[in-house]
Amino acid sequence: MTIADLWDQRIPAFLLSPSQFLATTTSESFLAELIHELRNDKANDQLKILLVSVLLEHPTILCPSTSVGEETALELLSVYSHTPQKSISLKCNIMLAITNVIICTSCLATHTKMAEDWLDLLFQTIQDTNDYRCGLSQQPLRATACDCLREMETCSPGLLSQKLEALYLLKQQETTVLHQSYCMLYTLGLKNAIRILTNQKDVTDLEFKSILGGNEGFAWKSNQLGLTFLPINMMVQVPRLPPGLDCKELKSVMSSLLEESYLLTPTSQSALLRELVEVVAMVPGLSPTLFKSQLLRLFGTAEVELMHATLFMKETFTDSLFTAEDENFLLKRLVSTAQHPLLRIPEKLFYMDCILHFPENRPISSSGEESLPVLVTPRLAASLLPTVFNDSATMLCRLNLLCLVYLEADEGEEDKGIDYLFDHIMALLKIVDGDGSREVVVTSFRAVYIFLMHFSGMEELSEKLIDKLCDMYSRQCRLAPNLIGLVDRIQECLGDHVWSVKLLRGLQKCIMEMPPLQLTIHNLSWHLKVLKRVAKEGQITQRNTIYLLLNVLINSNLCERGKWQVGNAVLAVCRNLLEHPSIDQVFIELADLLQYISVHYDDTDIKDHARFYYSLLTNLSWEKLTGVLAKGPDGGRAKERSYSATMAESEGIASNLTVRKTERHVLRLVKVQEKSLQSSSESSESLEATEETKKLLEVYQEQFQVPGFGSEVTLRYNLTHANEADTLFNRVFTICLHFELKDLNYAKVSDIHVPCVFRDRKPPEVNVKLRPFQPYPTTLCVSAIFTTQDGRSWHSQLPDVSVSFPEIFLPLPLPLNASRACKEEVFDRIWEAAASGSPDKSAISLFCFKTGDESLADLIKTHFQGYLITDEKSKGSWKVLFFLPPMCHVLLMITQAEDAVQVSIASDNWELLPFVNSYLQNITDHCSTTGTDG
Amino acid sequence: MSIRALWVVSHEKGESVKVRFSRRFPTVEFRAKSLAGAQYVSVPEDRVVPQLLLTELGLVDADKPYVDARDDCARPHRSPAVELCVNGRTLWPVLIVTQGALILACLPLVEAAPEPRPPLPSLASVSQGLALLSGLQDFLCGPGGKPEPDVLASRLATLPSLLLQVCPLGRPLDTPSPAGSVPVAVSPSPGGAQKQPAWKAGVHRGRAVVSVALTEKVRSMQYGKSSRQDLWDVFGMVMCKCEVEGVLPNVTVTLTLPPNGSPLLDILVHPCVTSLDASILTACSVDENDGSAFSGPYKFPFSPPLELFRLCSYTSQVPVPPILGSYQLKAEENHLKINVVLKLHESVKNSFEYCEAHLPFFNKNLMGSVEVKVSSGQLEVSKEKNLLVWVLGQKFPKAREATLEGTIHFSGTVAGPTDPLCTGLTAYIKLYFRVPDLTLSGCCVDQHSVQVYSSAKPRIVTTRELVSSEYYIWNSTGDAPVSSGHTAL
Repeated sequence: MTIADLWDQRIPAFLLSPSQFLATTTSESFLAELIHELRNDKANDQLKILLVSVLLEHPTILCPSTSVGEETALELLSVYSHTPQKSISLKCNIMLAITNVIICTSCLATHTKMAEDWLDLLFQTIQDTNDYRCGLSQQPLRATACDCLREMETCSPGLLSQKLEALYLLKQQETTVLHQSYCMLYTLGLKNAIRILTNQKDVTDLEFKSILGGNEGFAWKSNQLGLTFLPINMMVQVPRLPPGLDCKELKSVMSSLLEESYLLTPTSQSALLRELVEVVAMVPGLSPTLFKSQLLRLFGTAEVELMHATLFMKETFTDSLFTAEDENFLLKRLVSTAQHPLLRIPEKLFYMDCILHFPENRPISSSGEESLPVLVTPRLAASLLPTVFNDSATMLCRLNLLCLVYLEADEGEEDKGIDYLFDHIMALLKIVDGDGSREVVVTSFRAVYIFLMHFSGMEELSEKLIDKLCDMYSRQCRLAPNLIGLVDRIQECLGDHVWSVKLLRGLQKCIMEMPPLQLTIHNLSWHLKVLKRVAKEGQITQRNTIYLLLNVLINSNLCERGKWQVGNAVLAVCRNLLEHPSIDQVFIELADLLQYISVHYDDTDIKDHARFYYSLLTNLSWEKLTGVLAKGPDGGRAKERSYSATMAESEGIASNLTVRKTERHVLRLVKVQEKSLQSSSESSESLEATEETKKLLEVYQEQFQVPGFGSEVTLRYNLTHANEADTLFNRVFTICLHFELKDLNYAKVSDIHVPCVFRDRKPPEVNVKLRPFQPYPTTLCVSAIFTTQDGRSWHSQLPDVSVSFPEIFLPLPLPLNASRACKEEVFDRIWEAAASGSPDKSAISLFCFKTGDESLADLIKTHFQGYLITDEKSKGSWKVLFFLPPMCHVLLMITQAEDAVQVSIASDNWELLPFVNSYLQNITDHCSTTGTDG
Repeated sequence: MSIRALWVVSHEKGESVKVRFSRRFPTVEFRAKSLAGAQYVSVPEDRVVPQLLLTELGLVDADKPYVDARDDCARPHRSPAVELCVNGRTLWPVLIVTQGALILACLPLVEAAPEPRPPLPSLASVSQGLALLSGLQDFLCGPGGKPEPDVLASRLATLPSLLLQVCPLGRPLDTPSPAGSVPVAVSPSPGGAQKQPAWKAGVHRGRAVVSVALTEKVRSMQYGKSSRQDLWDVFGMVMCKCEVEGVLPNVTVTLTLPPNGSPLLDILVHPCVTSLDASILTACSVDENDGSAFSGPYKFPFSPPLELFRLCSYTSQVPVPPILGSYQLKAEENHLKINVVLKLHESVKNSFEYCEAHLPFFNKNLMGSVEVKVSSGQLEVSKEKNLLVWVLGQKFPKAREATLEGTIHFSGTVAGPTDPLCTGLTAYIKLYFRVPDLTLSGCCVDQHSVQVYSSAKPRIVTTRELVSSEYYIWNSTGDAPVSSGHTAL
């Protein structure tokens, strides 16, 4: 397999699931590999575009911090400048990737040097109007640069606010298709500049004019106003400039932009119009009539985004641009486009949504809720009446709209219209009855729901509907879950129980009257579901249900067959019956039923449950009974719940035995601060310093033959309460901490058990033992299962614990009594081996930084104390060794040169170098540093 | 006005659902995060997206009769935007377009406070997302709507470079042009003072040709009952292809109606039309039309793009249907007596390219013997589909009337095709026909009325045709479903 093939597999794997992909490697090393391959001259453009796509789509995964982002952008920039001119597509992709990285890693927001340079380069690229200098072939690059600048201005509004004159000139000069890009860039810059000015208290004519005349650098400070602006929306206060400013120049700019809008693609036209609408809304000196000349063209448009922009204009300017006649006309257009045979379904659905949110000149309410415009009369909306030929989304959308229409309509029209809608529902149900695929069934029930939401008060119709539904159920009992769902939703949303109780009563009757032949095992399971739901309604008498159950059990072979599922479904009905308020009336019957089951049912579990219910029924008062049966967390102490946990209904058992989930963090792990004695777990046999020095390394390495030698890092944490935990959790017991690794670089961490954590006591210490396969930084997902005082069990997520690179450092695993000379010897041997390239993965590198004498000594003391091999402060040289399990070494030779401190690095695993580098950079951050690879 | 992510997913029968293409836009995501604050819901990984989309479309767990997450009756299923449930949180608004086994979806940026949820029409990105998806649909599926697997694969492979042009950073700049529509004889813009339109990649070089094709489609629902009014309507579109030199050449196409012709309604125009007369737009199908409405000539001045485009579309209400049918079925024991009469209206030219009547029979056993005679044309019987196809050919007989009579026995033991609508005696005939050089509205584009302002005199080609679309004749002895509430009221 070639390298290109390998990437062809790896990149899609990454894009499909970055988290899974990174479980086998780290983002640092993956990024390093990507950059390395991008620098490979032999790789073709197509492969490189594929590589860049990773940074194009997931820059923040690969560059988790601003500094990594900046570095990566720099790398990409160097790749960019080394890419030949003819690789246009690759260059465009790199350009986009750099822009993505710079914005997403906040390089732009924090005004880094890289962002500044990049902006300059982009701006320079777009100077070449009409491809005068670079030729037509470079045009795509210019287009991409314009779009990158536009994105940067969007994410950092005002960035271009001092460059508007320059941008205007470029826009004027450009006559190729790219003038659209320049036009959009200029317009966005203009709008943001004005928006920023509206935040200023007093605006003078001069300040206002200087917006258009700006020809300076990038305005870095302007974006204190927040990251992005929301588009101006009439629901909120529109920011406005003070009146009386001289708008002559701006007006002519606006007119020319509008005039040329015809030359833009419809998509960009709609964006341009929206920006210009916002400008006019903010500047009192500009009149909305500016748009008048465009209106007719917009009214006739077949493009959804242009129609949408027109509606935005309408919402913003209402009667200052749209007369009552215009409004009427626009609404009629909307209604007719909402059913135009040549438009697509999603567009038509959107237009119907637009009708229900039509920006009226004189709105009655402005709640943002769906409401019908006054002008939509039944006659106007008649063309939107639903039919059975509509696709389901269109049908439901039309039904909803027409329900609103007839709710508002005058009496005569109302009746006719509602009758039509009702007939339509009946026609749908007839199709369901005929056969009806699942989709038809679901759509029909949604239609019934919509109808009831509006017209449940119309008794005659809703009674008819009940008759129809029951009639259907008698033939198609598979509709049981749909019917139960309908009942539940109607009760939830309308709070009206009259209709739903009537329906349930009807269904109960329907089941009672069913000929015994229809009560097959299969059908019975649906009926039992319905009866279970019926039993929940206090207003419905349950005698018939009990008779039926008894009758079925006695007269069929159900008891002999003894299927647990059926028995359980019967008991589920019984359970609801036990809670029924008028249980007194059927006390004896229910007792008979339960007793019959407990004697005759051929399944021990069902028998036991039935007996249990029987004793509950015969021994407890109803109040107590319902108390015992009540579900939910408010049930009081643990003992009572253990009764209710024995409910027959399987879901009931599940919900009562479930380990609850806490909503917030209850516990957390806090690193124990003082530097622990991080030591490898096993101590080795003593090494004689007198032994022949050449053999020392071998002897050292032999230690690793002992299984488990030096393979573990122990991290110490305190297990404490998280800040905002509920008082319920003040005392938690029998905690089991479970660790999940986010990658595959470590062996599984075993669970840790802690007897208790009390808020008012010293937190217990927890030792987490990590066994790395690869000593990379990692993150542990920690969860805990514990019990609270009331006996409930909880599952709670703890905040993730991140293990940084230096936390995995161990001192050289030699016995404590090993002499200094002995250590130095091992150090030197390892160094020599690494420098000569053995093992294969060895590498050496160099890191430099500036610092004063004092601070260097401090630095060494704070960071390297436990790892020093030699400390020759007088000579200005130190040797440091970090051992990283399972068997990696990072060796530092620190020497103080005249103007800088040099850190020579050697490691037997080059993949660690990026981490070493960022670690060193981190600890030397306060000094000016320069890192170089060796 | 941006989208956060875009997906193309396929779910072929028998194959597992696959992400065929996806693209995320991190800078838009960066904005989404800061706009939504604590309500931010991140875009899920591609690994899980297909399943989420299928759940939303009701396509998961096909073997289970009822699944709450899929079938709940209170789920709003009437918007172009749906919600995806991601780890208990809701990602909204996801726009979905489906075509065959392809699902196209995108997630527009919500540029508004996330709570309370803003209405869909208040979000600029939504219409842009819809337009982008429609463009992608045309690009991937082409005019036929069902591309071959290898064609689709090659089009999918070009998507990255296409997006580089039309949507490089999540902000749509243009919609993709339909596959294969970009013409060949194009040279770069000559430069000069006139700005090149962004929707026109270059200028045409070579012979000047302007073709204008007018297609009218007629729909009908005929019930043959006094209690139920028959319905028919017409909609038309004018497709243009202009190979004319110049950066912004001016062309004007004029549609004319015969005297007393009913006006063209609901006119929608292409964005390249430069100006419109207000009177052209006023006639609207949702209004009562009293005959006083503007009835032409309809002038459309425009500057054409390079590719084939739909200049305008309209609807029309014509006084008579082109073919009036009657369909009667009588059930007798295990056979059906059948009687069909089709009449061609005298105003319609008796010269078809093709004309066929399809008579399907549903929810019955397969056909046994078929004893049916036709007065004109041929009859093809497809017993395994329970379908009769009456091929009327190019012409109706002189009397402009054709009949079909006979009996069909459904004596087979195997059940035939099913349909939930056509139970009992509910049955229909569906007509398929095409008449060249005819429009029902009478609308036409005169060759001489096409004006082109350019140095070279172009060749001008105009055509027109009438095509059937959803043309049904229902059995008058059965219950036919209501097809339009408009006339029912």
